[in-house]
Amino acid sequence: MTPRKLNVMEAISAGMAHELETDPNVVLMGEDVGQAGGIFRTSTGLQQRFGSSRVIDTPLDEKGIVAHAVGMALYGLKPIVEIQFSGFIHDAFEHIMFCATRYRWASGGQYSCPMVIRSPSYGGIKGGFWHSQSCEAFFVHHGGLKILVPSTPEDAYRMMIAAVRDPDPVLLVEPVPLYRAMSSEIVLDGEPAEIGRAEVVREGSDVTVLTYGPIRHQATAVADELAADGGASIEVIDLRTLIPFDIDSILRSVKKTGRVIVVHEAPLSLGFGAELAAVIQEKAFGYLHTPILRVTAPDVPYHFSIGDEYYRPNAHRIRLAVQRAMEFEF
Amino acid sequence: MAEENPLAGKSRAKPKTAGKGAGGKHCPLGNARALGIRQVIDAEGRLTGDLAEPDLDRDALTRLYEMMVLVRAIDDRGWILQRSGRVEFWIPHKGLEAVHTAATVAFEQKDWIFLGYRHPGTLLLRGAPLVQLFAQFFGRRDEPFKGRRLPTLMGDRRLNIVPMTTQVGSYIPHACGAAWAAKIKGDDTRFLTFFGDGSTSRGEFHSAMNFAGVYKPPIVFICENNGWAVTTPTSVQTASATFSQKGDAYAVRNMRVDGNDPLAVYAATKEARDLAPKEGPTLIEAVTYRLGFHTSSDNPDLYREPEEVEEWAQWDPLDRMRKHLELKGHWDDKLEEGLWARCKSDIDDAVKQAEAMPLPDPASMFDDTFEEMTWMIEEQKAHLLDDLESQP
Repeated sequence: MTPRKLNVMEAISAGMAHELETDPNVVLMGEDVGQAGGIFRTSTGLQQRFGSSRVIDTPLDEKGIVAHAVGMALYGLKPIVEIQFSGFIHDAFEHIMFCATRYRWASGGQYSCPMVIRSPSYGGIKGGFWHSQSCEAFFVHHGGLKILVPSTPEDAYRMMIAAVRDPDPVLLVEPVPLYRAMSSEIVLDGEPAEIGRAEVVREGSDVTVLTYGPIRHQATAVADELAADGGASIEVIDLRTLIPFDIDSILRSVKKTGRVIVVHEAPLSLGFGAELAAVIQEKAFGYLHTPILRVTAPDVPYHFSIGDEYYRPNAHRIRLAVQRAMEFEF
Repeated sequence: MAEENPLAGKSRAKPKTAGKGAGGKHCPLGNARALGIRQVIDAEGRLTGDLAEPDLDRDALTRLYEMMVLVRAIDDRGWILQRSGRVEFWIPHKGLEAVHTAATVAFEQKDWIFLGYRHPGTLLLRGAPLVQLFAQFFGRRDEPFKGRRLPTLMGDRRLNIVPMTTQVGSYIPHACGAAWAAKIKGDDTRFLTFFGDGSTSRGEFHSAMNFAGVYKPPIVFICENNGWAVTTPTSVQTASATFSQKGDAYAVRNMRVDGNDPLAVYAATKEARDLAPKEGPTLIEAVTYRLGFHTSSDNPDLYREPEEVEEWAQWDPLDRMRKHLELKGHWDDKLEEGLWARCKSDIDDAVKQAEAMPLPDPASMFDDTFEEMTWMIEEQKAHLLDDLESQP
């Protein structure tokens, strides 16, 4: 099979098309996803190809969309739900966290809600507060939901497929700023990604950077620059899955480097970095040379005019964190 | 406060008189025809000539009545069990026996029902044994949901009965989505869901009505307007004259029936089910009354007058159905006595059996979180079980 060069958006589309093609129970639904192919055009041509009863334009009602998808999943369909921006997902929170994830448990295993909730996330598009949110941590707290965070075209394609085939609800946190910004060659063979497996993007021996989402690429660039300048040797790990996260890869790296920096775009307090820091100190306390550092957004709203530059963590702040980790003395 | 509107249900204003029976101050059923509340039988069990008498034979009628009595007897016992500390919590359903039993009978076994929490008759009518219900009330391991839910939050996939999500009304769009899925898949499965007057204030009611109007899934929504949402009267839930009229805004077929008249509920539901494949959804407002507490943690003396309850008790669905059967020559005092005795002794047996069943094992709370447990849950389970080993 010849590989095709696809950007992230096209890779997501190819993943959905593959599952719509191979499983008649898969439907895609959301605001504007049909005729127009979604506001980002991630589903361009899918309604024309699969029909309006499988690629469904819905009323403007995030709660209603997710809640109806829950019912569809109970009956045996596998809905892929598009939320236009992650900032609009909050109205659907109850149905994701206390319904989709809970029918299995609450019915003693009799019912389940296999469904995919697509949550286009992160800043960098001059979108302001509601269109630039990294709100994935809200969904970590409760169990029952898998959370996938692709940041390459290949992962976007294979994680979409894995998410659709998973027997439980999956939140797919899509990297909006990478939709059109990044392409790679993908063999469209329908192979799913392995859920729960991190990627060691770059090996290193001094500091472990744990990250996910678009900022993984900045963290890697910083690591490359430092290596070129003869600075600290950074190991970059893209978590790829938040629930369940790849504890083995994390601990292997931490035990090697003894220094950990968590980098994510989401706000600091109880962000995913908090969980990572807690688990790492529980399981690898004796290996740590320094406190675990976090480079994140602050606990304030995403600023429209200066948020992309100053709210999100950037390369400079990642470099500073590396420096602090290397210079730290007890 | 505006003049009391019997269509909109209760207001907080104190009644000036304690009306009795037909044409009363609190209960609109005596004035049903003028208020657009459809009936088959009146307070005395006589045909009103409004809705046509449904085509139910002697057996079907007596079975329906027997189930209503069993459901009442379950409530009597559940209350005692809760007050004596043997069941942790109770959600009474006294006075609400007609709607869910008659609507369930109007549907077929293959149809799906999304249940609320005052509907034990639905499970029994579909074949659940009485002991299964009491095992659920006692939180026992071997009931279908493994003792995980509050007493009376029931369901059973084997019977096509989906349990409610505890937040009232949140499941209305789940039911609607499932019905929509059946339509997409081309299955002839039809759907029924129950919810209360309070639930109509939630966004989910709007979502479900709106989607139902647009996509026309085969579903019957039954709003049990029982006058009170915990302590809040219907006049605070809505300024609309009726709950059924809300369907008009969404182009959802709707009607209003006497919810203490099982034959009216059956007739309306049967017709709506028959129409569902072609016409899509129907919203039925069943006007009824919760004679008991909201839950075992409630105290109705704080918010409603005893006269109101007394007036509604004149329209008790059990009395009306019994009188109807007597008029038809299908029932007498001896049968009545025998039925109650049988219900009580069946419940005695079920209570005895269920109470002797084991409680769930602590390890089981980790099951069914995911189809396959994540390492995270696996580890939390191991830690808890480790800790519990040394717990005296």
